[in-house]
Amino acid sequence: MLSKAVDLSPPASLPGAAVTDRPTPAVRLDGVVKRFGTVTALEETWLRVEQGEFLTLLGPSGCGKTTLLNLMAGFLEADAGEIFIGDDLVTATPPYEREIGIVFQNYALFPHMSVAKNVGYGLRMRGLPKREIAERVAQALALVKLTGFADRSPRQLSGGQQQRVALARALVIRPKVLLLDEPFSALDKNLRGAMQVELKEIQRRLGVTTVFVTHDQGEALSMSDRIVVMSAGRVRQVGTPDQVYRHPQDRFVAGFIGDVNRLPGRLESRAGERATVAIGDLRREVEAEALRDCAAGAAVDVFVRPDHLGVRPMGEAGTLPAQVAALVYQGSHIDLHADLHPDLAGSGRVVVRMPGHGALATYAPGTPVGLLVPQGGLVAFPPEP
Amino acid sequence: MTPAIRRRPFLPLFVTPAVLVAVAIVAAMAAILRYSLHAYVPGSLDVGGLTLENFSDLGRPIVLRALRDTVLICFETALITLIVGYPVAYALVRTRSLFLKSVILVTAVTPLFLGEVVRTYAWTVVLGNSGFVNATLRQLGLIERPIQLMFTELGVIIALVHVTLPVMVIMLAAALAHIDRDYERAAQSLGAGPVRAFLTVTLPLSLPGVVAGFTTAFAWTFSAFATPQVIGGGKVGVVSTLVYQLGLSSFNFPVAASLSLAGLVLALGTMWLVRRAARPLEALGGH
Repeated sequence: MLSKAVDLSPPASLPGAAVTDRPTPAVRLDGVVKRFGTVTALEETWLRVEQGEFLTLLGPSGCGKTTLLNLMAGFLEADAGEIFIGDDLVTATPPYEREIGIVFQNYALFPHMSVAKNVGYGLRMRGLPKREIAERVAQALALVKLTGFADRSPRQLSGGQQQRVALARALVIRPKVLLLDEPFSALDKNLRGAMQVELKEIQRRLGVTTVFVTHDQGEALSMSDRIVVMSAGRVRQVGTPDQVYRHPQDRFVAGFIGDVNRLPGRLESRAGERATVAIGDLRREVEAEALRDCAAGAAVDVFVRPDHLGVRPMGEAGTLPAQVAALVYQGSHIDLHADLHPDLAGSGRVVVRMPGHGALATYAPGTPVGLLVPQGGLVAFPPEP
Repeated sequence: MTPAIRRRPFLPLFVTPAVLVAVAIVAAMAAILRYSLHAYVPGSLDVGGLTLENFSDLGRPIVLRALRDTVLICFETALITLIVGYPVAYALVRTRSLFLKSVILVTAVTPLFLGEVVRTYAWTVVLGNSGFVNATLRQLGLIERPIQLMFTELGVIIALVHVTLPVMVIMLAAALAHIDRDYERAAQSLGAGPVRAFLTVTLPLSLPGVVAGFTTAFAWTFSAFATPQVIGGGKVGVVSTLVYQLGLSSFNFPVAASLSLAGLVLALGTMWLVRRAARPLEALGGH
């Protein structure tokens, strides 16, 4: 299941050897490095974007995701490594010869051109005949449901419409890769959801390889075929949304994707791919891979999702002792905040996500409770150094 | 107190100096207008009765030629300044090197800090028959006899471009700085090379700045006095030098005043025409 982990490190054989047993990727980065002065914005990165794939670069600001996008686009030059688009080595190719489409965060629609002129810009630069340009512009506008807006000025359009124009302008040139730089961040929440669905539909219909940059893990989980989780200039994990959500490979990924609780634990034993950890009096199994450097008896951090925890009466089997601290009403669910019993070394505040509204009446702050820790769905990592 | 002042108590503090300046300017203009409407009494600084005679003097060939030459010189200066200043402003805005930015800015703005007279006499050293330009060209063997630059329109325009450049560069840089770099990047990603991206996107978006810079340079040059006076040496007649001759050599204040007014009307009229002609361009640049 974690075979994609091979993307994290250089293949053992020559980079070229990997190509023979897999189809040519749409984009390939071989050991790409980018520095700004003394700061390394992107450490050595090996990455394949498969044909037709929707790949998301996810991470907090300053993690290197935009640097990576700009390297693919050609706005930045790599300090080391090679970049391929399809079969072409493009490391030193300027952006205007890379055949890529970009949707910018602020859309960057040319304010002195009509919608049709904006969309047709790339075709005019390619010197296509007028009739073909008109046809393809009309098709592109139909694709983004903006037929009839051709003669408007971008300034007369709403944010969502502007984004559609930007998308049409990037797609009309039939790019080898579509790059999306945080395209939803300027939209309000309701529109954002609708645009995400629509963009994903268009992408699937055209089968265009797409690299999407975002800091929003919700967007990444809902739209991507695969997610590249980044932090501090490094790729932390590459995997499907389910892989990075349920099987994070390090504590950064575990903490960044979705809400998560940290429980204090201790490594008891290891057997093959599984390890047993103790949390208070409980014994739970986790994947052993991440704990390969820990000795038996070492303290470990166990991560569990708020919606995987349950609330039971104090002392029930399979629970950890805790005390209700607060109930936070969230509409569709309720977050119960609880303090673990002080006997648990390194204990802290834990959040339990409860469906339904019965909890409001049952658990007043101060109530002692037992937190039900599930048998599966736990991951453990060594504590932070 | 009016509500406006209660909401912004600093308002009188800000407005008072502006009012004082406005009053001074209006008073000066009124004095010139009064002179222009009174008869010239030869040999006296006093003026005679009300008359429109002074304005009919403006029809004399020497005056008409000065008005025409002034507009031409201003136009040429503004145009050359624009052509020289645009790349400088572009480099100033786009360069990532702070050092280069400072060098460009200081070089471009220095002419503003030199006194007009000092700057003008410096140019006589450069442009003279044995000045820097001619000496260099002769040493290189490119010319045998010096090129006449002093006391020519070309010399005047060169010196005027120098003093107008800072204004142009600052105005163009302000306009260019407002153009998001992503426009150029978008154009490049769509297949436009740097030159085409500039011509189809950056240049059109900067046109409002170009128009503003051009009209300001025009007005700036129109009011220049020391440069045409010293470098032109009386051989290049423009409105400002002619007013000076009439007023302070002949003491004919009434005709000098009416010529001043004619110059003012001409300058405002030309600028109005330029702006009007450029109005379709201005619409391009809004963001």
